[in-house]
Order: sequence, then C-alpha cells, then structure tokens
Amino acid sequence: MAIDPKYSELVTNIENGDEDGGIEAAKGLLESGVDPLDIVQDAIMPCLKEIGDRFARMEVFLPEMMLAADVVKGVQDVLRERFSAIEVASEGRVVIGTVFGDIHDIGKNIVAAVLEANGYEVHNLGVNVDPKDFIKKAREVDADLIGLSSLMTTSIPYMRDVIDLVKESEVDRDRFKLIIGGGPVSEETVELTGADGWGENAADAVDAVRALMESG
Amino acid sequence: MENKPDILEILTRTQTGEYCTQKEWDTKRIPGTIRNILKEHDLAGACDPDNPVNTDMELADKFYAAGYQAALELGFHCTDTERIISVTQGELDLAVEAAPSELLVGEGQHATLLKSRTPSDPYPMKTACTLGIAVSEEYWPAMHYLIAREPEVDLLNGGSLITIRGKEVLSSTPIETFMGYEHAQMHKEARRKAGRPGMGAIVSISAVTEYGMLSSYGAKGGYSTKDLALVLFPSEMKIDYRTLHKVVQVHNVGGAMKADSPAMIGGMPGPPEGAVISSIACALLQYTILQPQTGGGEVYDVRTLSNVNREALWAQSLSMQALGRNTHLMTHPCMNQVSGPGTEKLLWEIAASVAVGAVAGGTLSTGPRSAGGKLTDHITPLECRFMSEISHAASGMALEDVNEFVKAALPHYEDTIKEPDLGLPFQKAYNLDTLEPIPEWQAIYHKVKDECIDLGVPLNPW
Repeated sequence: MAIDPKYSELVTNIENGDEDGGIEAAKGLLESGVDPLDIVQDAIMPCLKEIGDRFARMEVFLPEMMLAADVVKGVQDVLRERFSAIEVASEGRVVIGTVFGDIHDIGKNIVAAVLEANGYEVHNLGVNVDPKDFIKKAREVDADLIGLSSLMTTSIPYMRDVIDLVKESEVDRDRFKLIIGGGPVSEETVELTGADGWGENAADAVDAVRALMESG
Repeated sequence: MENKPDILEILTRTQTGEYCTQKEWDTKRIPGTIRNILKEHDLAGACDPDNPVNTDMELADKFYAAGYQAALELGFHCTDTERIISVTQGELDLAVEAAPSELLVGEGQHATLLKSRTPSDPYPMKTACTLGIAVSEEYWPAMHYLIAREPEVDLLNGGSLITIRGKEVLSSTPIETFMGYEHAQMHKEARRKAGRPGMGAIVSISAVTEYGMLSSYGAKGGYSTKDLALVLFPSEMKIDYRTLHKVVQVHNVGGAMKADSPAMIGGMPGPPEGAVISSIACALLQYTILQPQTGGGEVYDVRTLSNVNREALWAQSLSMQALGRNTHLMTHPCMNQVSGPGTEKLLWEIAASVAVGAVAGGTLSTGPRSAGGKLTDHITPLECRFMSEISHAASGMALEDVNEFVKAALPHYEDTIKEPDLGLPFQKAYNLDTLEPIPEWQAIYHKVKDECIDLGVPLNPW
C-alpha cells in the first residue's frame, strides 16, 4: 500500500530510527490538523509492516527493527499526550520476556520487534524474569497476552510456572492468553506447559498471537 | 611490554569500563561499528550464496583484518554492569600469541589431540557428540553408551537431562547443583562402559547456570580437569557474571575451557558479511578476555537458528578460514541442523555443514543438533557416527572440491529448512533390545554415505 506523501518525513524517521525526528514530524502533522488515528493507521502501521517484511527478506536487521519500534513508541506517546481522550489504535497488548534461569535475549527481542512492527503494544521485561513479575506487569498494563521465551530446556518448567499461576487465578484465567517460544519449544512443550499457543520463529509468533487474539 | 590481562584485571574492568546501556550496545555500537568496518574494508556484498565455500584466500585475510579491527574498537559488553571490557592491541596480540595450538583432551589411550588447523589441513577436525539436546533420564545411559562406543566420535558431549532421579531440573536451584555432579557420574559411566574411560568430555552441558558446573568440574569424583569445560556466552560480543563465574572456576582448578558465542546473521551485526566480522572479533576477544583453550568462530542465521543454509555456510567458511590462516587458535564450527533422525535430509545437512567446517580449518565441531534441538530424545548415535566420519574425511579435501560437494548436497534439503521433517526419537529410530538402528534408518545412512562417496568425499565405505 502506497503511503500518502504527507507522511514521508515521519516514515523516513521511523525507517532511520530517529526518535527525535519522528516525534517532531508527528507534532508537525498534528499541528497541521491531521487526525492522530489517521497517522497511526495510514502511516505508522503500513510503515512498520514494510519494515517487518524487509526483515524477513534480510534487507534490514534486528537493530533497525528495534530502533523503528522505539520511534513508534515515542510518537504514540505524543499522540496520546495531545489527544488523551483518544485511544491510539493497537492490535493488542503483549507482555514478553525470557523466563527465569535463562539469559538469552536475541530470539525474544526479535519477536518483540516483529510484534511491534505489526502494531502490537509490547512490554519487554528482559531476561531471567521471575514468574510472578510476568503476572504483575500483565495486570499493570492490562495485557491481552503473555509471551514466554526460553532457549534452555531447564528453564521450561518456569514457563509452566507462569502458565499455572495464570490458570489457577480466577482473575487472570480468562484474561491473559499465553504463548511460548524459543529453541527447544515445540508442540510437545505446549502440551507439557499448557500454553495456549507457540511460535517456531518470529513470523510464526505473530500469526499465533493474531490467532489467539481473534479467538477471544 | 604489555601483558595479557589476567582474570582479576578483567573482573575489575566489568566495574570500571566505559558505561554503555545494553540498548545503545545492541542498536548503535555493534551495528554502527560493523557497518563502518564493512565499508572501510570494502566487504559489503561479498557473500556468494552460489558458492557456499569461499575459495578466495585474499578475501579471508581481508575479513580477518576487519574482525581484528572490530575486536579493538568494540570489546565485550558486560550485561550485569553495562560496562565495556575493552582491550588494547598489545593485550590482544599477546593473548592470541599465548593461546595453545594443541591440547590433549581426556586421558591415556582414549584421549584426543586437538590441533590448530588451516584450510584443507590434513589433520582431521575432531568431533564432540552431541549438542545439548534434551534427553530423558530413562534413555540417557543407553544413548550415551552407544555414542561413546562409536569409534569415530572423538569426544563425548551429550544431551541435557531434563530430570534427575525423576525430579525436574530447575536452573539456578540446588537441584541444578545436585544434577551437575550426578550428571558427571552418568557421563563417566557411559564412557567406562563403552570401553573408553579416558575419552575426553565436554563438561556440564546440562548446567544452564554456574551452579551445575561449580558442583562438578574439578570436583572429586566429578569431571576431570582433562575434560573441556563448556562456557557459553549470553550472545555475541556480550559477557555476564554467570559466564564469568564459570571462567573463574576453570582458571582456579587449572582446567581447559571451550568458549562459544555464535555471531548471528540478521542479528546485531546485520548481513552475512557483518556476522563474519563479528564472529572473528568475538573469537579474538574471548581468547584475550577469558583465555580459553578452544572455541570461537561460529556463525548462525537468526531466521532458522541453524547454519545449513547457503549464507550461513558461506559465512562459517569465511570465519574459519580467516582465523585458521591468520592465527593458531583452535576454533569451533558448531553446525546446527534442522531435520530429525531417520531422515535423509538430516544426513545431507550434516554432510554439507560439517564438511564446510572441516575444510575451512575448524579444530573441533560439536553436534549434531538433530531436529534443531527442539524435541526431547530426537538424537541417535548413528548421525553422530556420520558427522564424525564426514568431519574426518572432508578435512584434507580441496576447498574447491568441498564447494562442489556442498552445491550438490544443498538441493537435497534446502527447500525444507524452514519446515523440516523432525524425524524419530531415539527409542523409535533404534531397537532398544539389540541397541542397533532400525533397518530403515540404517539403510538411509548407507544410501547417503554411498552418495557422498560418489560425490568425492573420501569416506570409508564400510
């Protein structure tokens, strides 16, 4: 989809990972009377989708994805500040992290960046995250979904701990969907942990998140 | 004259080095530095997926110079303190010069001599089987006895235990500490039972954190310091205290260390050419900062977390060649497959990837990672045998010949790299009464082996 030329400065700054430039461009658009929802739907979303597609083709790489996501976060903050009554459109809210005992971050960061590129609001808790902290953050931001990553087989029980905490809670059980991913994760791990879904890679994770969100 | 930094000096630098946030490191420092060096050395766009084994040694030397520059400009980032551990040129040169070019792993007649190698070096690349694939406690002893019994397998690495005496192994808990020591006992027993008590081992593959290793390496009744202690980094160009605990332990007990930190195509260093530079830099820095005996030089592709595709094979060949021609370091091409046991594709992935590492100058390769390491018990001794046969046979081949071989092997599997057949678990691919591969798996092995021989790999047909 071609992006309206009036958004070209904003789009260029997102692509270049220039947060200050992106914020200035967004402010300029608002001052010229452009609706914030149009900025999100007609500029930010297609731009992020294009960056995600370029990543899949290896035309851009993880750092560019992470920086573009940062620009978008900054721009969304500006849109919310100016129009607090308006909820900036989001595909959904995801809390993501590498579970306790595991310090590998690259796979989880890729999934976080690709989710953001696809319009999800992502709260990245980092690595070696205590099971309770996933729940705490998910409640705090009113998340739709919790994403759990691990590259180590010995951390997979901690995935199950988070899932058990959610499923055992009357408050959280129907509130948060749970998705898992990482090197040793498979259908077998989904059965073992009781997760709602899994992603084999970043693109797969986005499809799985989308399917879970649509399933209500 | 400068000295190579000692380990206490390194630990101090984790607290006194330049402050840099992890975000700045990941999104600016690594990609910016690599991008500039690629441009300065005119290496952007050098990747040739049509020829997965590089045959241009001038190019390998150019990449070495670029990687050397990246090591000095970047250093390692300590994620616990967000400080950069930088090294001087004098420290790096001295540390690389002081690194050993040979190492005997194990003891007595069953020990294995690792040697620094150059491209096409006739001294064989040695193997450590398998990678840390999750293995049930029930099958671990038989599986590892059978792997240790394979005469072509040089060192026993082994699968990761997911339970110990029926209890789940939770990392960072005392159960991991308990498991570390008990796993060492099981590991030693598998080698003893196979008639190779002095066979060298890679240590503590089941230990995610320092606890499992501290309880077993150099401990009385645990792993011998003649075995290689595995020290895995969190990711390329980064170190953390968990890893450094292991490093200090190896130094304290006078052991030997294998350090690993694969560079990622598509990750922080960007394209395949950037990953080669990062891989070389990471190897040089780990020898300066951690001072292992072996390791370094691995490249993976983030799209598949493997290195059997064309770009990753090319990058792996360049990284090994660059280090093999310009240093005497004992490097480690760790080749990750995606298909599973009982499939032809797994054997073709092993043949292509391991031949690349062997001919490019790698010293030791750990593997296979059958089924991408995703499924419990999806590893068998037969592919360990095949990997070791390929590693030894391809070592002395000409780069051009291995390039042609890999070009012939790739069409056997590259269409399914993203959606591989994960094959069979050990208990279905082997007859547990006879401890032999099932006839179908044995037949596939012979078929692929014969085809590899026809394509010029000097394997022993028997």
